[in-house]
Amino acid sequence: MARAESLSVPQSSLWEKLKTFVNAELVNILAGFLFLLLVIFLLYPIVAVLIKSVKGPQGLTLSYYLKFFVKGYYFRSLTNTLLLGFINTVVCLVVAFCLAYLTTRGPLSLRKPLKVVSMMPLIAPPYLFAISLIILFGHSGIMTKAFGIKWSLYGFNGVVIAQTLAFIPLAYLMIENTLRSLNPNLEESAYDLGASEVRIIRTITIPLLAPGILKAGLLVFVMTIAEFGNAAILGGRTPFLAPDTYTMIIGEADFEMGSVLSVILIIPCIIIFFLHNYLLTGKKFTTIGGKPVASEPRKITPFVKIPFLAISCAAAMAILVSFGVVLFASFTKILGINNQLVLSHIKNFDSNLAIYNSIKVSLVAALIGAIIGTLLAYVIVRGKFFGRSFIEMVSLSGFALPGTVIGIGYLLAFNTPPFKLTGGIMILALNCVFRFLAVGVEAGISKLHQINIEIEEASSDLGANFMTTFYKIVLPLMFPAFVAGFIYTFMTAIVSLSAVVFLVSPGFELAAVKIFDAAVYGEIGVASATTMKLVLIVMICMVFLNFLTKKTGFDISQKKGV
Amino acid sequence: MKGKFFWAVVMAMIFIAFILSDVQAQTVRAYMGLSPENNVKVVNFVKEKTGITILQTFQSFGEIEAKVKSEVPNFNADMVGGCGSPLAFMSKKSKWAVPYNSPAWTGISSEFADPDRYWFNMSNFTFVLVGNKDKLREMGLTLPKSWKELLDPKWKDQIVMPSPLSSGTANMMRYTFLALYGEEEGWKYMAALDKNIHHYTRSGNAPTDLVGRGEFLLGITSHENVKKRMDEGYPLIWSVPDEGTGYDGTFAFILAGTKVTDVCQKVIDAFGTQEFSKMMAELGYVTPRPAPNALFGDNPLKYVKLDLGWAADNRPKWNDMWKEKFRTEAK
Repeated sequence: MARAESLSVPQSSLWEKLKTFVNAELVNILAGFLFLLLVIFLLYPIVAVLIKSVKGPQGLTLSYYLKFFVKGYYFRSLTNTLLLGFINTVVCLVVAFCLAYLTTRGPLSLRKPLKVVSMMPLIAPPYLFAISLIILFGHSGIMTKAFGIKWSLYGFNGVVIAQTLAFIPLAYLMIENTLRSLNPNLEESAYDLGASEVRIIRTITIPLLAPGILKAGLLVFVMTIAEFGNAAILGGRTPFLAPDTYTMIIGEADFEMGSVLSVILIIPCIIIFFLHNYLLTGKKFTTIGGKPVASEPRKITPFVKIPFLAISCAAAMAILVSFGVVLFASFTKILGINNQLVLSHIKNFDSNLAIYNSIKVSLVAALIGAIIGTLLAYVIVRGKFFGRSFIEMVSLSGFALPGTVIGIGYLLAFNTPPFKLTGGIMILALNCVFRFLAVGVEAGISKLHQINIEIEEASSDLGANFMTTFYKIVLPLMFPAFVAGFIYTFMTAIVSLSAVVFLVSPGFELAAVKIFDAAVYGEIGVASATTMKLVLIVMICMVFLNFLTKKTGFDISQKKGV
Repeated sequence: MKGKFFWAVVMAMIFIAFILSDVQAQTVRAYMGLSPENNVKVVNFVKEKTGITILQTFQSFGEIEAKVKSEVPNFNADMVGGCGSPLAFMSKKSKWAVPYNSPAWTGISSEFADPDRYWFNMSNFTFVLVGNKDKLREMGLTLPKSWKELLDPKWKDQIVMPSPLSSGTANMMRYTFLALYGEEEGWKYMAALDKNIHHYTRSGNAPTDLVGRGEFLLGITSHENVKKRMDEGYPLIWSVPDEGTGYDGTFAFILAGTKVTDVCQKVIDAFGTQEFSKMMAELGYVTPRPAPNALFGDNPLKYVKLDLGWAADNRPKWNDMWKEKFRTEAK
């Protein structure tokens, strides 16, 4: 014992030195470590896709790109994709604005039900709408037969409708969040001064909402052009970039052409991401800072109310009916042919392992994502090192990058040693972590901006070292951001398809992929039943998580926004 | 404060228990491409006879081929249990497969068991023409009797078939048409057929469901789910047109680098049994060991004369030609 003590003396002084060093430099060490993670799991996969797209059998080549622009087929897929993204974004924003306006400013009785309905699609896979549209408007759909409709669902129009319905909630969530924290006093003053409702919306509400709308638009556009479930199920022979990439990689092992399509898909996303950053510099906290203030329902002129109500109700009805028919289909033998009620689809347990895996992956992703997100937010706001804004940009870029591209990137980057991750469960979780990191980071950043640095300084003046300060002061204050990151990652990861579809392997299937496959093969009953099970389980998980966070004393509703 | 901590610990413990809860039984990971439902049947058969759990993801033959090729040499599965001849032949040639002298496969013809025992053909499958009975009657049409009849403009946008790039069934259709009409005429036939095709599906079984539900009138499809769907009450009729049809195997082999070779070998043994052949024949497959066929009955099918080796060797070339011909202009 004495021996050990005498030995430990010189060590301890070294240890002390190390400790002081770590204590002083911890933020930088942490930043370096996090940056390394970002490079490996976000930048490296993208670079891998880029390299693949220019690497021919004999050195570098642009021949694959040449093929893209020469062949009408590929070029059409680009124009189709952009057109889809554009139409979709505009429609989603308009509908979401109407919905958000009514749920924050409209009659009280409408607020809650409209809100619940608009958020419903968030917990279902986006291609639920493709399934319901086939049931209703397919060549032998219920409505098609009932009204003798001649219009064909398969093609561009069908995809646009399905995608729009799928992404309304996303736009709604963000616009509603900004609208809620917008102080209604300004609008009320204008109203008292005699301005018309239309004028208020045009000159006050929308300009103040601009950052929120812009952000919602960016997110919807990127998600729309990258999410390929609806397009693959309803597209027929209409080419779109994302489903074509998927077919090329998964079906044909044509990695070169698949990579070219991916790179082309990234370009509009990057442009929009930078545009968004440029337009929003300096405007960021004008709307987020305010506390949500419930606004008194005031009289909305019929001139505004009727169109808003019409649009909102149409959207809400469409969402409700979609969920309804899918629920119905999961209990029907063969919907439309043999409408006998059966339990066989529900009792089909082939998908249970996949559902179990989905929950597991999403929970792991949520935990890691929330931790990394919180830490990143901390180093971005409090760190004082070169390249800070670069780290911020990279960590926020996750949601501007199409899921398909990240999925292919992971497949290319982590298929060979030393980073051999494919064929396991971690690659699925890590993929979700870095794709959905932005939300946790952003929630953390805005939380930290609200916390005065003086509290931390006071703590260290009183002799607490960095770890103690971080653990006792920063962490509790940032916990809501942690929870927001956790819940968002969990919810998004469990229903997302576009990236993980490239990474599933035998034994590590995911429910979202399983449902997509069933829908593509035409097994509507199984697809519907699995969707309903997944929705139910996500709901239970949400209630459970809500319960736990309440018990641990934090209110998640504080920061649900993206 | 105490309550908070307690709940945080509960949460953490549940979480850790959940993450560590991986089942450790005798398992093998396999790429299987029969059909989603027939895959499950095979998995259940193996589980019942040997106690081995096969973890599988259903994929089309083309997708399995793409996956195996892209993963060389670090395969994410231990074996393949159901893929097309091109991948099986290539895996033997490139030594992605490891040979196994299975006692269960002795006495089986070289069509079903590789003489060098690299691959084992679980059974042959084939493609048929299906139609939606109700819709055809409604429109006063009948199921075509020959492949050529499909070129009639009245079927425009009413036919679905799988894509030969991703589906092994469609690859089989392609080499059958090329063998039937000769290469040049065969491509002309497919180009003419293309005008009537609504779209090409990923999987060879998808047309059965799409036609069964009445989304489309006719489908060229794998036979695999036809009987099952008719039994379930889908208004389907099927036929093999006068010119005959083609066939391909559903091949199984052990992938090099697996850590559970002995488990894979037991699975291969199970595939060689009479009982397995019996089960597959009940699903309509033509099996390595003779068994009564539930779909085709006693009448032997009329086959187009095929050389699977020739078809496998030409697959990459034909895939390029396919893309060249049918992916130039959007329809």
